[in-house]
Amino acid sequence: MVMKVLSADHAVAWAVRRAKAEVIPAFPITPQTLIMELLAEFIADGEMDADLITAESEHSVMSIAVGASAGGVRTFTATASQGLALMHEMLYAAPQNRLPVVMVNVNRSLGAAAGIWVEHNDSMPERESGWLQVYVEDGQEALDMVLQAYRIAEDERVLLPIMVCLDGFILSHTVERVEVPEQEDVDAFLPRFKPAFALDPEDPSTINAIVPPEYAMEMRYQLDRTVERSKMVIKEVDEEFKERFGRGHGGLIDTYKMDDADHALICLGTATSTARAIVDELRSQGRKAGLIKLRFMRPFPHEELREVCSGLRAVGVFDRSIGFNRYGPVFTEVSSSLSGQGLKVTDHIGGLGGRDITLRDMRDIYAIIGSDAEGKEVKRVNWHGLRGVQT
Amino acid sequence: MYEVRFHGRGGQGAVMAAQTLAEAAILLGHHAQAFPYFGAERRGAPVRAFARIDDKRISIKSQIYEPDMVVILDESLLEIDPVVDGLTEEGMAVVNTTKSPDELDLGISVRCATVDASSIAMEAIKAPAVNTAMLGAVARMSDLVTLETVKRAIEDRFGEKLGPRAAEANILAAELAFEKTRTGICKADRTIFQKKVWLPTWEELPTGTTVYPEHIDGVAVGPGGSMQNLTGTWRNATPRYLKDKCIRCLRCWFCCPEGCIKRSEDDHVSWDYRYCKGCGICSNVCPVNAIEMTRGVTEW
Repeated sequence: MVMKVLSADHAVAWAVRRAKAEVIPAFPITPQTLIMELLAEFIADGEMDADLITAESEHSVMSIAVGASAGGVRTFTATASQGLALMHEMLYAAPQNRLPVVMVNVNRSLGAAAGIWVEHNDSMPERESGWLQVYVEDGQEALDMVLQAYRIAEDERVLLPIMVCLDGFILSHTVERVEVPEQEDVDAFLPRFKPAFALDPEDPSTINAIVPPEYAMEMRYQLDRTVERSKMVIKEVDEEFKERFGRGHGGLIDTYKMDDADHALICLGTATSTARAIVDELRSQGRKAGLIKLRFMRPFPHEELREVCSGLRAVGVFDRSIGFNRYGPVFTEVSSSLSGQGLKVTDHIGGLGGRDITLRDMRDIYAIIGSDAEGKEVKRVNWHGLRGVQT
Repeated sequence: MYEVRFHGRGGQGAVMAAQTLAEAAILLGHHAQAFPYFGAERRGAPVRAFARIDDKRISIKSQIYEPDMVVILDESLLEIDPVVDGLTEEGMAVVNTTKSPDELDLGISVRCATVDASSIAMEAIKAPAVNTAMLGAVARMSDLVTLETVKRAIEDRFGEKLGPRAAEANILAAELAFEKTRTGICKADRTIFQKKVWLPTWEELPTGTTVYPEHIDGVAVGPGGSMQNLTGTWRNATPRYLKDKCIRCLRCWFCCPEGCIKRSEDDHVSWDYRYCKGCGICSNVCPVNAIEMTRGVTEW
């Protein structure tokens, strides 16, 4: 294990190097560029044996990724925001064709009201594409998750692409201490990709054929069950990772000070880090606050959330994206998980377009959840850091 | 937890300075993080970068509003940016200036280290990148990091990115600055500059993304917009317009990267020197040499 001081983008590039990805289609887009720059350096310096293919758009990037993966090689790419949106059409080819591509999406807002800063409104709409989707909190988790992602994606019980989402700038460009595992340890954890099926000129086959109504329903159901089944694999892989590298990330969800909590926030991405500081603060004041880190949006951990929330008096959901006319997408998912439990749930929207989520914002969020737990009247949807009166 | 905020001009290396400080702290066994504030940067525009250092794993990912230390890479920022915002009297400042601490006026009286990092950078690196010299001063000012670890961090970070010769020159800059840094208490006589920032409520915000000049005196909206980021007196060359020679081809107006050249009705031009960074592109593209670059700041 080597300790390095890396940005999360560079941590990802190190993970891809250790994973020995062989084909890397790339189109530069902020704030993802640092990943591809470092991978290009590794390849140019002869430290990594891979084909970095520069494409003319993200649509082509995903087409190349799908083609390479169908050819049976380990494939990596990264994108953000408009790039992900431009891939939208090709994204759907990977899951239904069962191609284990790993892609990092560095979360960034979509224009108009164009910006380069973090927001989850780029990746959230893609949670219905069939890709598995995980959100990470720091550079170490970004590195570890890319390694885990290949194991999950390439598992024969899964064979699905994974999108590893990390917050633009506040994470992608933040340098922190990151442990880079040794090559032989990664090789033992992540052996060479052996595809269950692959395009082979010696043994011709067709993939991505047109599917008439007689088969499509069954294919969709098969995919639905596979996404569900991936939960088990995600947990197994995290446990094995923990045994080998001494670090686990909790699988589908991670919890902080939940044992005796009576209210909690469900959070994803870097907001989790800031929330943890406030949980510590509230605990020192004797308040029973807890934190649930939602790691996966797909598969969505319905049962796990129900279990960890049972016994709570109130729960809040943090959304760094908005489904216009009221709730954020995370709230919608969580509410459907918790329905029938009689638990009070509030939605907390913040950090849109890169607005900084301050300790004070997080303190306000917990204050509302705390009041909700005490039975006081609170608003169900709250925007934090917004100027002007909320109606 | 110890929080440091760096203020510099685009091109001076504030981001690398924050990263290198974090790396030096990590080399000493601490936990640290460093990150930039990303706006619409350009060479000469005010930029910010942040570093946090702690003995435990750092669990905050937001910007720094109440720093324990500010590092000011360019003294002229004091005129255009509230660089000491949030700094309390217990905090400290490290400033690139030719003044001694007791001559320096930050508008708040704090423990202060001053060093002429610009001259040191020109001597050691032959370029006005003052970041590594400033880290030498930080090492002198506080026990956050030692000069030894700063030098190792420079070797790692600059060496890897720019090669061993660049690392060596930057290490020399840090060493010279460490030697020449003066410490003391600065004055609090000046009024701290406050930016006029347009921050409408959601009801006041114009509909759509259409903004007319009357909403904000220009076109760029919000933090990072260049309208709020004055280059001010930072540039080291100023374009001088020889109106008689001008053939009104408007190439200068078309090519100015800052859009700071204004076109009059008869197609003669003028400069808004608040935004001119003295890059000389206008002078370069002029086919009749009607724009001369003069040394120093002669207009603002």
